[in-house]
Amino acid sequence: MTAQVLLADDDAELGAMLKEYLERDGFGVTLVHDGDAAAKAALGGTFQIAVLDVMMPRMDGMEALRRIRQASRIPVIMLTARGDDIDRILGLELGADDYVPKPCTPRELSARLRAILRRVHPQPEAAGPVAVSGLTLWPQKRRVEWRGKPIELTSTQFNVLEVLMRNAGRVVSKKELSEQALGRPLARFDRSLDVHLSSIRQKLGEAADLIRTVRGTGYHLVKD
Amino acid sequence: MGRLFWKILLAFWLTLIATAAATGAVIWALREERAGAEASVALGMPAVLATDLAAATLRHGGVDALRDWMGEVRRPHGIAVFAVDAKGADLLGRPVPEGALADARELADSRGSHRAVRAVEAPGGERYLVFAQQQGPRLRGGDARPGGGRGGRPREGGGWLMLAMGAAASLAVSALLAWYLARPIRSLRWALRSAAEGRLETRVRPLMKGRRDEIADLGEEFDEMARRLQKLVEAQKRLLHDVSHELRSPLARLQAAVGLARQDPLRFQGALEPSLERIEREAARLDELVGEVLALARLEGGKAESGEEPVDLAELVASVAEDARFEAQAAHRDVAFQLASPVLVRGRPELLQRAVENVIRNAVKYTAEGSTVQVELAALGQRARLLVTDRGPGVAPGDAERIFEPFYRSGANASVDGFGLGLAIAHAAIATHRGSIRAENAAGGGLRVEIELPLAA
Repeated sequence: MTAQVLLADDDAELGAMLKEYLERDGFGVTLVHDGDAAAKAALGGTFQIAVLDVMMPRMDGMEALRRIRQASRIPVIMLTARGDDIDRILGLELGADDYVPKPCTPRELSARLRAILRRVHPQPEAAGPVAVSGLTLWPQKRRVEWRGKPIELTSTQFNVLEVLMRNAGRVVSKKELSEQALGRPLARFDRSLDVHLSSIRQKLGEAADLIRTVRGTGYHLVKD
Repeated sequence: MGRLFWKILLAFWLTLIATAAATGAVIWALREERAGAEASVALGMPAVLATDLAAATLRHGGVDALRDWMGEVRRPHGIAVFAVDAKGADLLGRPVPEGALADARELADSRGSHRAVRAVEAPGGERYLVFAQQQGPRLRGGDARPGGGRGGRPREGGGWLMLAMGAAASLAVSALLAWYLARPIRSLRWALRSAAEGRLETRVRPLMKGRRDEIADLGEEFDEMARRLQKLVEAQKRLLHDVSHELRSPLARLQAAVGLARQDPLRFQGALEPSLERIEREAARLDELVGEVLALARLEGGKAESGEEPVDLAELVASVAEDARFEAQAAHRDVAFQLASPVLVRGRPELLQRAVENVIRNAVKYTAEGSTVQVELAALGQRARLLVTDRGPGVAPGDAERIFEPFYRSGANASVDGFGLGLAIAHAAIATHRGSIRAENAAGGGLRVEIELPLAA
């Protein structure tokens, strides 16, 4: 099965080249050139993952992401301007699963796509539910509950929480978390994990205290 | 407090002290003079009364009664009564001020003798001259010793107190003045340092509230300078930001093209050539962008440099229009220009050519297919005027000024090729030549750009 990728970039020439590259790499790619079209297409349900450029006419990538997140948990990668940390963090806070700084090599984009898709569609071996401290997680159904109440997480947030729950009771280093949950090595000055963790805590509500920050090391999910 | 504060303080204080000393000296001299005058006979009402009393006592009670009276009664108002016999000796044996005695004799001898001087015959037969003398005011209140020194010499303790108070008051006034003058200068210094450290949003005028003088004007000048610098620096920062952003697009395409070229070249036969072509094209685009940014930076940085010469604008426009027409016709558009008589301006031909070319090419780029760009040149009074009108979409009403900003692209035409630097370069080049460039939507739709340049004298 080829994964269907929605690619939104206003640079038509660049988009065409990335499409060509990704198609040769085994993805199915649909190209759109503005945020409005991107949001509509992403909500159409035919794509497994969306790549949004932040700078687009009519509706920028952030606004498109906001619209998508109102109704869908489809994995989203943001293409941000290199060096623009605000875009990066804002995107993650709005529920993006990852970002790729632009200009990037198409190989890097392809690798990120694969990493996220692999996490969204995990291997069946780890199928059974994980239950820790009142939290229950079903990896295959991509479902989390806190004392019977469902919690809506994006796929990256889900992966982060899954890694923490599977290692409950011990400190998980940021390095481990990045490799296992984000599918990439921890980069220096990368605050993505912190942003994801803060979003997860917000969504957990009263269960937020279960996740403890261990300064300078990593995170720790408390086990009763 | 800075050195200036202390300098001003010291200068004012010394001035005040010197002034006080001079004034004191004058007053002292005047008082010395009055002290001489005081040695004469007192003529006021209290003196007359005292003299009357003394005269009556002497006439009726005799010498002893007067002596007792003079010894007992403390006379107010610092009046000392003397009773002097014909030999000039006082009844109580006090030294008699000579001036006063002479005055008294003179007054007594004159007709209609003054009531303050009485010639009295005692019961014993001796004649006494009775008169009063004003003692110094500082002796008032208790100095009963008759003739107790001359008036005017300050008492030791009081004098020092007065001096100290005077010094303190003058010091306070000087300090106030010094503070008033030195404080705004301190504010200015703070502002300059703050600006030097890069905080160009610093404003000093609010610290000089209500002040209206040269220092306040200086503060205003500083604020104006800071405002302009801030604007300039912000423009530069924006340009830098925009440039780096613009560099990204060709770089991203370059990377994508390289990625495609490397992607398994054996499996995708023939995929290499288009990728290499793209790489070449993007490299050329990068080169063009860098060149334009450099041109803009040079134009905005320097004033009209040397190398100005008389330029026939008519000829220059004609040649640019001819080139543009050649290219426009390939895209089914046209450029119309009637060669008029020579229009001479002074300037650097390559810059003027670049400005005119950018404006005309921009018009060709946006004009609708099948339409014609109108180019008109005329000399009006002291100025040459070039009008370039296209039949394109025009600009949004608020954007007529913004199209001359670097990297501005009208939103509807994001796909149009180019970096958005052409009109910015034209604007800078025309400004260097003391000219003006404006844009407005033309009456029949499309954009009209108007360039005015001063004619060569």
